[in-house]
Amino acid sequence: MALNLSSTMRPLSCWKSIFRSTRCVRQLTTATPPSASTIPPRIGISALAERSLSAGPKKIKTYPPPPSARVHFKEPISDVTAAQLTTLDPTGARTRMFARDNSDAAKVGDILLVRQRNGDPFAGVCLNIRRRGVDTGILLRNQLTRVGVEMWFKIYSPNVEGIEVVQRREKRARRARLYYMRQPKHDVGSVQNIVLQYQRRSAVLRSGGEVRGRDANSGKRKGKKR
Amino acid sequence: MIQLKTMLNCIDNSGAAVVECAKVLRMKKAAGIGDRIVVVVQKQRSFGPESGPGSSVSISAANKVRRGDIRHAVIVRTAKQHQRPDGSVVKFDDNACVLINKSGDPIGSRINGIVGAELRNKKWSKILSLAPMHL
Repeated sequence: MALNLSSTMRPLSCWKSIFRSTRCVRQLTTATPPSASTIPPRIGISALAERSLSAGPKKIKTYPPPPSARVHFKEPISDVTAAQLTTLDPTGARTRMFARDNSDAAKVGDILLVRQRNGDPFAGVCLNIRRRGVDTGILLRNQLTRVGVEMWFKIYSPNVEGIEVVQRREKRARRARLYYMRQPKHDVGSVQNIVLQYQRRSAVLRSGGEVRGRDANSGKRKGKKR
Repeated sequence: MIQLKTMLNCIDNSGAAVVECAKVLRMKKAAGIGDRIVVVVQKQRSFGPESGPGSSVSISAANKVRRGDIRHAVIVRTAKQHQRPDGSVVKFDDNACVLINKSGDPIGSRINGIVGAELRNKKWSKILSLAPMHL
């Protein structure tokens, strides 16, 4: 009575009862142990489920990993550094100038002169040499117009045309970082006079090599002063 | 790193010796070289040996600004290290500024002391040309 009533109200409800019956059959078939020889009779919709069961889990295709670059490049960072240094410092002079094993190398406490590409050189006492491969930098301190000035320069920078040792420290500094020279008690003050003397001397040497004569020298000096 | 209450040296001949930062303009962070700030003059420069005995100009006439004046200024040196785009770093031993008027011209007529070259990028070429040296 109730089924009749529901079927008249909702005509699709008869499908529901049919599906329910098939679901019961499927449950029965899964309960039996699956084997290739005893294939239960296929009934309607449950056929698809049975086929997948008989085939087992689907095989996923796997690929071998691509060849690793690690075999060819054992230490990539040091390789890059070496490549950079060959382009930025082809002669190796800069590297030697600040190498630890070089006894003639520039050390902290020396007065260094950095010639820049934009024309104005900067000189000062070297307080610190930060050795970091291609990022190696030096910290110079000087006093200009009675104001202390400190500058870091990257020694391999293309903007740095040359680094010269103006004056060496008489005794080796016993510290790696001479930050105490910022204190008024230890500050050496302006090294501009020493640098000017050095520049004059080197100009004389250079002009002496090229042309011999007092006039040529004096002309050179005048130009240098200006 | 110039911020509220920072004391700066004034290195022009406007008459101020030490000024205090009252406001960093157009910025939410600390000011650096080439930035414009508002300052209060805290200490006047006394022109003793230069203008005292020889000239009849009194201190008040020689000084264009007085203690307590509120002025605009441009920072020209900072003790905080400033890194340039090429990797070099510049650092001065003190903080210094130059007083300017509202339109941006320096109040003093000369500057004594080195200034940072960042002023060129910030369009302060008038100050840069007054300065004896820039770095």
